[in-house]
Amino acid sequence: MAQMPALIPKEVEIQRLKKIWMIVIAMGSTAASVEVDNFVDGSLHQTSIRDSAFTPAHWWLYSHFVALPLGWGAVSIYDRKVPILRGPNNSMNTGLKMTILGYLATMFTIGVNEMWHFWYVEEIFAVPNHWMFNMGVVVAFMGALAYVVRVYARLVELGAETPGENPYVAEMYKMALEGKLYSRSIP
Amino acid sequence: MTLPKGFGSGGGASSSDVNKMIGRRVENMTGIVTLSFIAAWLSTFGGTAVGYYYYPWAYPAQSGHFAFIVLSIIEAIGYIFAVKVNEEGTSKKSNGLIAGVVGVIAVATVLIVTFVNG
Repeated sequence: MAQMPALIPKEVEIQRLKKIWMIVIAMGSTAASVEVDNFVDGSLHQTSIRDSAFTPAHWWLYSHFVALPLGWGAVSIYDRKVPILRGPNNSMNTGLKMTILGYLATMFTIGVNEMWHFWYVEEIFAVPNHWMFNMGVVVAFMGALAYVVRVYARLVELGAETPGENPYVAEMYKMALEGKLYSRSIP
Repeated sequence: MTLPKGFGSGGGASSSDVNKMIGRRVENMTGIVTLSFIAAWLSTFGGTAVGYYYYPWAYPAQSGHFAFIVLSIIEAIGYIFAVKVNEEGTSKKSNGLIAGVVGVIAVATVLIVTFVNG
């Protein structure tokens, strides 16, 4: 990405980017705990395939998942204070769009999942209604990664973060800052 | 230089304008970051404890402890990272605080997985 002109004072931009990063770090722990839920759920269903009255409540198991869409929502609101992070035509950042679409797909899948299980009660991991949960989350994580990389690259660009000391890594950062690492870098 | 309404006077930002735009600076957020880390760690303990107290047939204490230890480590890395990022480039240093908090959490985690078994 090319060096962009600053629309807000550099110091203000660094502080705001770091505040966004704090929210992202907090959500990192939540994402890890959601992954643990996924493993726990999958592990349990390898033993008992069908849900019963003894099955632990899924709303409890996955309840903290709600922190991720809410957290990214908070980021998308605060994100408007950093002009460099705007997406095409002054819209929302593309990574954030992907993240929010991914979580919307996951929420939609909750309904689809309930309809599927009305007819077919076995909790087999590989059934198509479960694919949508994983695809939604993967799209969300891909968007989040793109956004985090953009925030970090901007901090490097502003001189608030130092690129790696490894010369190969440093060269990659240099190419990224010159817009040569990807055919179309993250907007 | 584009500034929000009410900032600056006829172009250019003074240092007081910049301070107003920044609000609370990240290097002054070490306290809230520390409290958030402790709250997250307690919540992690609470979440895993619900598993082995209420659903022991599904989530044995060993599984809960494993998840608790792994997540505690991830949260501690996030905490250290957050404080270091916030304070880099300033004269503030909270290495003692980080060491103390992470040390206490580490000892408490070991004690919990040893003596709390659902």
